[in-house]
Amino acid sequence: MILVILKDIATLCSISGVLAIILVIAHRFLNDYGIVKININGKKDINVKGGNSLLSSLADNKIFIPSACGGRGTCGACKCGITKGGGPLLPTERPLLTKEELITNTRLACQVKVKSDIYINIPENIFNIRKFNSKIVEIIDYTYDIKGVTFKLDAGEKIDFKAGQYIQLITQPYAKMRQSVSRAYSISSKPEEDDRIQLIIRYVPEGICTTWVHQQLKVGDEVSFTGPYGDFFLRDTDADILFVAGGSGKAPIKSILDHLQVVGTQRRMTYFFGARSKKDLYLTEEMKAFESVFEYFRYEPVLSQPKAEDNWDGKTGYVMPFLKETIRDPQNTEAYLCGSPGMIDAVSKALIAAGIAKDKIYFDSFG
Amino acid sequence: MKASPKEIKIMQKMQPGTITLSGFLGNDKRTLNEIIEDDFRLLNALEFTPEEIADRMQYFTDKSWNAFTDEVLIDDIYQVETEVVRGKLPCPFGHVGIYRKAITKFTNTRKNISLSWTSLNIHLIRAHGFFEGKGSSFRLEPAELVNAIFDR
Ligand SMILES: Cc1cc2nc3c(=O)[nH]c(=O)nc-3n(C[C@H](O)[C@H](O)[C@H](O)COP(=O)(O)OP(=O)(O)OC[C@H]3O[C@@H](n4cnc5c(N)ncnc54)[C@H](O)[C@@H]3O)c2cc1C
Ligand code: FES
Ligand SMILES: [Zn+2]
Repeated sequence: MILVILKDIATLCSISGVLAIILVIAHRFLNDYGIVKININGKKDINVKGGNSLLSSLADNKIFIPSACGGRGTCGACKCGITKGGGPLLPTERPLLTKEELITNTRLACQVKVKSDIYINIPENIFNIRKFNSKIVEIIDYTYDIKGVTFKLDAGEKIDFKAGQYIQLITQPYAKMRQSVSRAYSISSKPEEDDRIQLIIRYVPEGICTTWVHQQLKVGDEVSFTGPYGDFFLRDTDADILFVAGGSGKAPIKSILDHLQVVGTQRRMTYFFGARSKKDLYLTEEMKAFESVFEYFRYEPVLSQPKAEDNWDGKTGYVMPFLKETIRDPQNTEAYLCGSPGMIDAVSKALIAAGIAKDKIYFDSFG
Repeated sequence: MKASPKEIKIMQKMQPGTITLSGFLGNDKRTLNEIIEDDFRLLNALEFTPEEIADRMQYFTDKSWNAFTDEVLIDDIYQVETEVVRGKLPCPFGHVGIYRKAITKFTNTRKNISLSWTSLNIHLIRAHGFFEGKGSSFRLEPAELVNAIFDR
């Protein structure tokens, strides 16, 4: 009897074993798209192994499409035009695309799978985006939850970026994290210092990347990033400038000011920095020092809830009420904003009400 | 109970380091559906629906949103602040939607109860009746949550 049962089990096992092998082979076969072609801007073909996302297929070929969320389909930064191929639009793409983008066949490169030949259009400046390896050379505690971290590029490497742009920091596995993620951070150092970059990173409780930066990274550690990305940079005009920032939003503005100090400017500039209380202020002396560097520059920290012990005699409340009085000519004023999405909304509304054209208000739009 | 293949797929996305640092399940040994069903029974006993709770949480988050990172006193009792970080998170249920990295810190000053939730928590409760697993940093105990956000 036992022998019969064992024989039956053995037969079943061999049948399921054969079935499993067939399934594995079928899976391999069905997911083997072979080598497929990506045609870029009608000018250049690259051959890739089919089946991966357009974003990662391009990255494997050192073409880095912006991706503020690291390819999770949540930021919309990886939009690119597809003229042929790419398969049908996916439900994950729809929420991030405008009506116009839907009509013009704009897609999210991180969601599109390259299963057959595909023809894409991407801006030429994307070819300037590269992957960099670096070593941490300095970590400064700016506040209780904000650190300035400087990354020195490998010997001989240089990064060519515009003041105000951002990079994508790539984390390494740590603690329970078994995979890498990438997150966007604005560069806070000036483009003239092209063998290194500084980032200003604010700790987010239970945040994957910021916990890694704040609790794991130390001077001497090797870190990779890609970049530069973004079109938040100073426009080359002679218009008056309003900078408005909060929290870690100081980073790109610092880069722009450091750059202007090198190249010189006659532009009239006012910089409002919104914070809650004195413990959230940082780099105040450095920003104030620009008042004696530039012809016309004013740095105005504004505290919304100063504490009694702060002995604060500066501006209080939110920055919005102070904007109008600093605008000389709304037709000839540009605003550069960096901070939380709520702050950007409120400040944009106040600026538009003060007569500044919407297209003269600049900020990173994937907040 | 054994988890279904669909449930297993979602539970994989809820593991530490996939969408969030510590995941969504904490040290809970129950399956996803068991967690949701147990909390649903608790809610029934409390006579609240997930939508009512999510609406109330959204009310506080929206009211404090305009104050940026400042603390605001809402309806004379509730001290609330919402901090928004640039960037967004997806829903682990594979639902089409993305949620702000926004943390609302909430205190019912009369009952002296403090809680925190994120925009994703509001969505998880509204759309999936999911309050996260026990031991998760963002687990919201339905009874404590109801007691804190409703004045009764
Ligand atoms: C263009 C751009 C430029 C940027 N520049 C800067 C900069 O210069 N400096 C800077 O500091 N930041 C910057 N950011 C933000 C940055 O990219 C990250 O989003 C931020 O640092 C948080 O990343 P993280 O990996 O630590 O958090 P993540 O892990 O991505 O998310 C953390 C969020 O998840 C929530 N969460 C965690 N676990 C759970 C759970 N179980 N249930 C519910 N919710 C949960 C947390 O509350 C928190 O809100 C920029 C963003 C963009 C788009
Ligand atoms: S990389 Fe963020 S949506 Fe594609
Ligand atoms: Zn969902």
